Amino acid sequence: MDVPETVRTALDDRPVEGSVCLEAGAGVGNTTAGLLEAGASRVYAVTNDHEHAETVRDRVGADDPGRVATIAADLRSTPLPDDSVDLVTAHGLFNVVSPADRPAVAAELTRVASPDAHLVVDDYDPLPDDAAMRDLFAVENAAAELASGDPALTFYPAEGLRRLFAGYGWAFDRERTLLEPVPWTESHVTAHADAARESAAAASPDSGLAGALTTEIDRITAEIGSESAGRMYSLAFRLDGAE
Amino acid sequence: MLVPADRPRMETRPLGETGHDSTVTTFGAIALNWLEQEGANQMVEAVLDAGVNHFDVAPTYGDAELKLGPKLRQHREEVFLGCKTGERDYDGARHKLERSLNRLGVDTIDLYQVHGLETRDELDQITSDGGALDAFREARDEGLVEHLGLTSHGDPDLIVDAIDRIDDLETVMFPLNPVVMAKDDAEHDYEAVVERANEENLGTLVIKAFARGPWPDTDELPEEDRPYANWYQPVDRPDEIRERFAFAASQDVTSVVNPGDPKLVSMVLDAAERFEGMDEAAQRSVLEGARHDDSPVPQQLHH
Repeated sequence: MDVPETVRTALDDRPVEGSVCLEAGAGVGNTTAGLLEAGASRVYAVTNDHEHAETVRDRVGADDPGRVATIAADLRSTPLPDDSVDLVTAHGLFNVVSPADRPAVAAELTRVASPDAHLVVDDYDPLPDDAAMRDLFAVENAAAELASGDPALTFYPAEGLRRLFAGYGWAFDRERTLLEPVPWTESHVTAHADAARESAAAASPDSGLAGALTTEIDRITAEIGSESAGRMYSLAFRLDGAE
Repeated sequence: MLVPADRPRMETRPLGETGHDSTVTTFGAIALNWLEQEGANQMVEAVLDAGVNHFDVAPTYGDAELKLGPKLRQHREEVFLGCKTGERDYDGARHKLERSLNRLGVDTIDLYQVHGLETRDELDQITSDGGALDAFREARDEGLVEHLGLTSHGDPDLIVDAIDRIDDLETVMFPLNPVVMAKDDAEHDYEAVVERANEENLGTLVIKAFARGPWPDTDELPEEDRPYANWYQPVDRPDEIRERFAFAASQDVTSVVNPGDPKLVSMVLDAAERFEGMDEAAQRSVLEGARHDDSPVPQQLHH
């Protein structure tokens, strides 16, 4: 399967070869594929989304069942033992982790990491003010909060995630720009618009906001089409217990 | 030429060891095939005004050779002329070369290329005794052509083989674009061609840089209703053309050929004149965009 250049660029200065890896938030398996390509001895692909877990099994796990274990689990509490992982990756994970859940996820990733482990955290800076995608994410979040009380997405500045992990004993190693600008293609726009509509539909029908949001989602989606805006970064850390 | 003083000078790069510095864009003269003679003359003038110094044509491009002829002869010294033949044996290649010289109305062709190499059998044939390359070399000895090249949309490993087997090859022309580069399999590994060609110090000419993808099925869009003459669907907005040009020109290659449709040529010239390089994060951005456009996985949210 094709490994995205973003993943390759995030991993190419990390000691993946022969390492036991945890891909936190496995998505459709892109980073798992990148870790396998780079010679990981084993990859735990953990996701709380059963559909994603199936996708990873089909796309990546099938070719190399001995090296991949796909685990459907909450990242605040995984079945992995303490100190069992050499390299943790969170590629595009934290934007779907709410501010309230961030500490628990960071603590869990730290718990499973071995004393001299490496960590790679790749995510998106907040979008610039003039980006139309920013409006789409805003209505997606408004709809999600109306439906569930939590935002759908949060874009943390690189500095924010740096500080978060520093607080759990991770020493900052380096930062790279993976994408600038970030290409939000028609398929991204459609996917986020659909997710936003779904949330709006799930909101209480008594709320007059749901209808207004749906109208706004349709308008913004038609306006955007596709857009390139913002930055995706890669942060690398080392656990301080190395010495 | 009527060139405003503030018009940027188009970047040039050494075309392998030919001694010629080619502009970052090469004029694919197939575009002339769809124009009347007066329009063809104007297009050549516009291309020269933009500073382009490398032209490429072939006898199979309708009457592009004939339409290029008048302006080519007027400006012969300003143009590094590439032409090609799809003939694989000596006699056919010799005949086609003479025909092209005749149709173009010139005494020499600067770069004569094996056109559209597709299979290993063809590679065997052109390199054997009595093969097309015998005709190419004889013509070079006679001063009818200056340099030897090869073009192909075929498998990258076939092109690499050709580079290894043809010692006096000086240029290769092949497809390169983000849609192709985002795919990791050997069938799409034209980066291997770039690498091998650069090791051998060959000139590298990129085609299909502006391909968006195949046309929709003819049931959905009949051939006569296609808006462009290309056999693939090209990108056609100025920002997309600029992005695709900058991406291709940033891949350690010599020059990028415009798409065949004449409606797209001026946008490519503009992109080439404005080209100032593309950093790696931006290149990855283009690759990611292409990967999602062509992704087998639906609704992929992230990069």
